[in-house]
Amino acid sequence: MNRRKFLTILGSAGVASTLGTAATATKAEAGHVFPYYDESYGVLHDTTRCIGCRRCEEACQKVNDLPKPDKSFDDLSVTATRRRTSADAWTVVNKYEVDGKPFFRKLQCFHCNDPACASACFAKCFRKLPNGAVVYEGSQCVGCRYCMIACPFYVPGFEYDEALDPLVQKCTFCEPRLQEGKLPGCVEACPMDALTFGRRSDLIRIARARISENPGKYVNYIYGEHDAGGTAWMVLAPAVDGKGAKVEQNPIDAGHTMKQLGLNTHLGTQPMGELTYGALGAVPMIVAFWPVLFGGAYAITKRREAMAKQAQDAAVNEARQDVAVAVDAAVRKLEETEGPGAADRARRAMTEALKAREAETAHARHGEEN
Amino acid sequence: MRNGTKLLLLAAMALACTACLTAWGAGVAGAASLGLTDSGAPAAQVMFPVGVKPNPLGVGMKPVVFNHLIHEKKVEDCVVCHHTGDPVSCTSCHTVEGAAAGKFITLEQAMHATDIAKREKGITPQSCVSCHEKQLARRECAGCHSIVKAERGNDWCAVCHVVTPKMTQGQMRKGIEGKMAAAENLHLAEETALNKPQAVAVSPQAGPLKVLIGGLADKYQPNLFTHRRHVASLMEAIKDDKLAQAFHSSPETVCAACHHRSPMSTTPPRCGSCHTKDIDPANPQRPTLKAAYHLQCMGCHEGMKVERPRKTDCATCHKPARQSAD
Repeated sequence: MNRRKFLTILGSAGVASTLGTAATATKAEAGHVFPYYDESYGVLHDTTRCIGCRRCEEACQKVNDLPKPDKSFDDLSVTATRRRTSADAWTVVNKYEVDGKPFFRKLQCFHCNDPACASACFAKCFRKLPNGAVVYEGSQCVGCRYCMIACPFYVPGFEYDEALDPLVQKCTFCEPRLQEGKLPGCVEACPMDALTFGRRSDLIRIARARISENPGKYVNYIYGEHDAGGTAWMVLAPAVDGKGAKVEQNPIDAGHTMKQLGLNTHLGTQPMGELTYGALGAVPMIVAFWPVLFGGAYAITKRREAMAKQAQDAAVNEARQDVAVAVDAAVRKLEETEGPGAADRARRAMTEALKAREAETAHARHGEEN
Repeated sequence: MRNGTKLLLLAAMALACTACLTAWGAGVAGAASLGLTDSGAPAAQVMFPVGVKPNPLGVGMKPVVFNHLIHEKKVEDCVVCHHTGDPVSCTSCHTVEGAAAGKFITLEQAMHATDIAKREKGITPQSCVSCHEKQLARRECAGCHSIVKAERGNDWCAVCHVVTPKMTQGQMRKGIEGKMAAAENLHLAEETALNKPQAVAVSPQAGPLKVLIGGLADKYQPNLFTHRRHVASLMEAIKDDKLAQAFHSSPETVCAACHHRSPMSTTPPRCGSCHTKDIDPANPQRPTLKAAYHLQCMGCHEGMKVERPRKTDCATCHKPARQSAD
């Protein structure tokens, strides 16, 4: 087997196995079940109720011992800028104009049913818990920030200021408080019940009831019910009926309002992770496969070099021996005809000539190399 | 001189009042009448559920007495209701079963539909209910009606579906066959309209002057809610509104805007009877007490377009507690 043949075989084996993994992943997709927890909790954010008072931000900072912001929580003007969540502010409230009327929306981790961050993290730092929270545990975190790129809501923040061991930070759904039987800090602090905590299934029922009991108040769409595969935190959007026209009740037309609220309705109903499970499933295979591929290639190259050298040495030796034998025979003949003295001289001359030739070839080789 | 004018004016007013009262008394004593309409249409009309196959016994939905006099003053043009431009009675096209002339839109739909598709050309028709619902957007109505949805039970139906008990089975049969003479119809209608009992709303004086809302006082001091002032201003705004008078059919209807979801009463339960301080796991959809207050107050203020105080001006309604938390 030569090098080319080996590489061909190895290469095709590699491609086949990669495709195989991808294929099984795709096959598994249909039956792929990220542990979906029926009893999980969620929060319904009713943007028609939110008044942008920032009590949720204040509570979040307090219960999570986050650093105090530069501007006090009483300064409500900051809501006018489109702020994002960061490592120090796990939730922010922003003001959005919906058809000319101001509305507020709270931003935080949506706690996806099948989180994209978890699917992107190769260190397995993110977990979806049975209570609905998507939690991060940073001991294995390598700081690659793939989770931040994967998140369709741009939620995780990174501790850029941290010189040693910077971690990713995001809303924890107040997981420790849930364990104690307490409400998340923001939900508890909301003076308008714009945040309703409950089982996700109940929240969907509550949201539907609100939409049907208040015709014309809400857009007939629960953001997060199916978006990005479903999220634990869901949003109800206002229907602004400025011109007295009939309010669109078709969910398809909700995108217009949602977009103005900064919510993307084009994330699809498939979890983000399902787009990558196939490709990422092949990663361990590649990790296992590359050392074999390159190790093999290296070994073959080395072996070929060694073999070539051996053959060359053998040939050189043979040639050298041939010359020696011929010289010996010639010298012996000389000894017979002209006596030992001449033979000695001849032997010496021959040896010198050989040496000179070898030196010459060595020199020539040296010159070639230069 | 000035006093003389005033005196003269008062005398004239007194005279006018007496004249009116006498005339009214005479009217009751003689043939009861609502008056004449500008359009020349009957002042009121009993709208029978006219059908193709009327029940031979005269059984059917209780007819509605439509007061043409009041309604025609509220619209700019006859076509608002007579949407074909032809001022005929509704039941000439819209029958109980629906007829080709009315594009098979039944009488029930024509009177109650709220989800009416906008017409490409011509006038988009309105139903009784859709037009009445539109009135709720008026500032004086929108406050309460944005925080509470009127219950649509039998009482609600009976506001319109009411006819004098003097109407006989035979008259009903004639009515649903569409064979009642105009004069007889007018007589029945006026009889009903003039004898319609009207609920007298509870006086704001019956309620407390001020209410101390302090059950949750912690970061903020208790709020002294000016109960009487609020009720009085709400009732003042609608005191001459015929629509409100008709549909606020019980004396306590106005109270039920805030004191909702409990049987109407002049002694309603406290907010905290249902709204718990912390979330109730059995009723997660029910606002907590703090949110219930805020949603009611701010909801009504927003509906009435009360600009001040702004929703985030916490200290306007309740002053911060003396020892600040921070």
